[in-house]
Amino acid sequence: MPYFNIIKWIVWKDLLSEMRSRENISSLFFFAFNVILIFSFSFSMDRDMTLALMPGLIWVAFGFTSVLGLGKSFLSETSNDCLSYLRIAPVPKGAIYLGKLIGNLCLMLMVELILVPLFIVFFNLDILDKLLPLLFVMTAATVGLCALGTLFSALTVQIRAREVMFPLLLFPLAAPVFISAVESTQGVLSGDPFSFYRHWIELLMIFDLVLTIASFWMFEFILDD
Amino acid sequence: MSPIESLVTVMHKLIKILRRFEEKIGFCAALFIFAGLYMGLIASPPDYYQGEVVRIMYVHVPFAKCALLAYTTLFLGSLFYLWKKDPVVDNLCHAAAGVGVFFTLVALVTGSIWAKPTWNTWWTWDPRLVSFAILLLILIGYVMLRALIDDPRKEATYAAVLAIIGFIDLPIVYFSVEWWRTLHQPMSISVRGISISPEIRTPLILMSIGMSLLFIYMLAIRTQMLYLRHLLEAKQGGLLSEPERRLRDDLS
Amino acid sequence: MVSLLGYQISHTYRYHKVLKDVSLTLNPGDCYVLFGPNGAGKTTLMKILATLLKPTSGTIEIMGKDTQQSREEARRYLFFIGHGTFLYDDLTVTENIEFTMGLRGETPSFSMIRDVLDRVGIGPFALQKSRYLSAGMQRRLALAKALLANPNLLLLDEPYVSLDEKGMEMMNDCIREFLKKGTAVLMSSHDRAKAAEVASHAGILHNKTLREIPVKELGYALF
Repeated sequence: MPYFNIIKWIVWKDLLSEMRSRENISSLFFFAFNVILIFSFSFSMDRDMTLALMPGLIWVAFGFTSVLGLGKSFLSETSNDCLSYLRIAPVPKGAIYLGKLIGNLCLMLMVELILVPLFIVFFNLDILDKLLPLLFVMTAATVGLCALGTLFSALTVQIRAREVMFPLLLFPLAAPVFISAVESTQGVLSGDPFSFYRHWIELLMIFDLVLTIASFWMFEFILDD
Repeated sequence: MSPIESLVTVMHKLIKILRRFEEKIGFCAALFIFAGLYMGLIASPPDYYQGEVVRIMYVHVPFAKCALLAYTTLFLGSLFYLWKKDPVVDNLCHAAAGVGVFFTLVALVTGSIWAKPTWNTWWTWDPRLVSFAILLLILIGYVMLRALIDDPRKEATYAAVLAIIGFIDLPIVYFSVEWWRTLHQPMSISVRGISISPEIRTPLILMSIGMSLLFIYMLAIRTQMLYLRHLLEAKQGGLLSEPERRLRDDLS
Repeated sequence: MVSLLGYQISHTYRYHKVLKDVSLTLNPGDCYVLFGPNGAGKTTLMKILATLLKPTSGTIEIMGKDTQQSREEARRYLFFIGHGTFLYDDLTVTENIEFTMGLRGETPSFSMIRDVLDRVGIGPFALQKSRYLSAGMQRRLALAKALLANPNLLLLDEPYVSLDEKGMEMMNDCIREFLKKGTAVLMSSHDRAKAAEVASHAGILHNKTLREIPVKELGYALF
């Protein structure tokens, strides 16, 4: 299936480049590490406060990290004018979007996976039994962030002041992701039964679905006009 | 003539009509707004619960409605632009966003002023408030984005994409905030549910009509301004395409 | 079938006219060389023909496919070598070729890749990261991709830039090979002597318009 092959080629190229240089993953990791350090300096917390603040802290850290990471997603395509080749390659542009989306998703999830143990260590969290639902929430929210981020990354690399514009466009639109991610993380960490925060997961999934389809549809206009 | 072409012609005709009647629209807007303000601020009785404070509603609600009207115009215009690449529609979108920033900002500020005496806080995480704040951010992002792209064609396309994605996103923002708040604290005061008496309804309707006319008036003026700028730059660059030349002749 | 048909292409950038009613036709096996002073719009015209830019007006057909109506089909027939190298710095030379070909729906075998790399003289670098290639070697790599892609229409924007004497010779050899296979080649260049060796048609882009000139005049001052 040629459509699937194109997605595969893009993902292969992105992940292989990343594996070789480890440029993004290491810089993202150390950035997030810094954010966590600053958090642990700024708040001296007892156990109750930790639990109350933790979901917010996690998502502030993840949010900043993903802005940094996703904004770079299409920057790598501009260095040797590779974006022009993607543009004139005889492939449906939606496949390129999906390929980039999957590549970004892998990268962001990897960074988040490395960060979770850091949170556990620095804030003395006791969440080993809640890890699975937490990972699920993280994945659902990261899909939404990446869906929007991939589109806006492709948009902003082609304009002036791209570093500033990317978060300015991404953050307001990603507000539902942050709200529902924080709420469901809260639910997971405080040990509520799944039915207490199920609607937040549903909202995340609706957001993922709607925004992925909309971005997929709009991507052609961004890349090929 | 294909249906698409006739639709483009209809758009151009619409703009021509707007131009011809813009003074009258502006005059009617002023008339309705003054009548509405008189009835709202002087003739109508103070509210049983809220007292004199309620009178800010006659400004706030019409502004909020017009902000949504502006964004709906922007959304539909953007869809149309991506479909037909009509530069006039692009100017209309740009104008709607600029006017929309004004209406959204006023709606937010008046809402905040109204919230202080009634809810005893300037800002609360009410879904409508938050949605409007996000709407304002999107509109400002839209206007900024347009200023940062050199190629007019790219500018129009990217801006349209942003407007469409934002419009699709907005209902999700609304619901997420609504769920978020209703689960934490019941909403303090809801205007919904209270039946509105005619003394309040009449000035509200008058103001809404007046504001909508004001919106159309501002939209028409701003679209023309942007389009004339487009023509001027094209003239300085020494070129006008055939449909643009035709439209210029129509306009002048 | 006509390989490339450009009809009355006009382009404006930021309200300035760059091209005005440019028309040109290339049949299979034609080599059209485009000359013109800096800023005449050669690169713009190349980009428009490569479907990177949409012209303000005018139509382009590649192998009978309109580039507006059936973009992806038209793109299948063309290969563009521009100023950008289209290389990913962290992939090896071979991987870069595999990626480029992969997006065209082809999977050349490793020996095929080795052959074309030897052909353009960068065989020893096949497993190096493309980051370490010099500008001239990157040009050769682009040519290797074109040889593998075997397009019906080859667009070369300043193909001789940053190539050494031997490289230019090799470029001309490859162009001749393409022409023999029936590929139409359109290139822009400033090197009249080198281009004249392969050109079958020539044109000057001046004052936004294209004027065709006899190939034998290439030896004289043009503008």
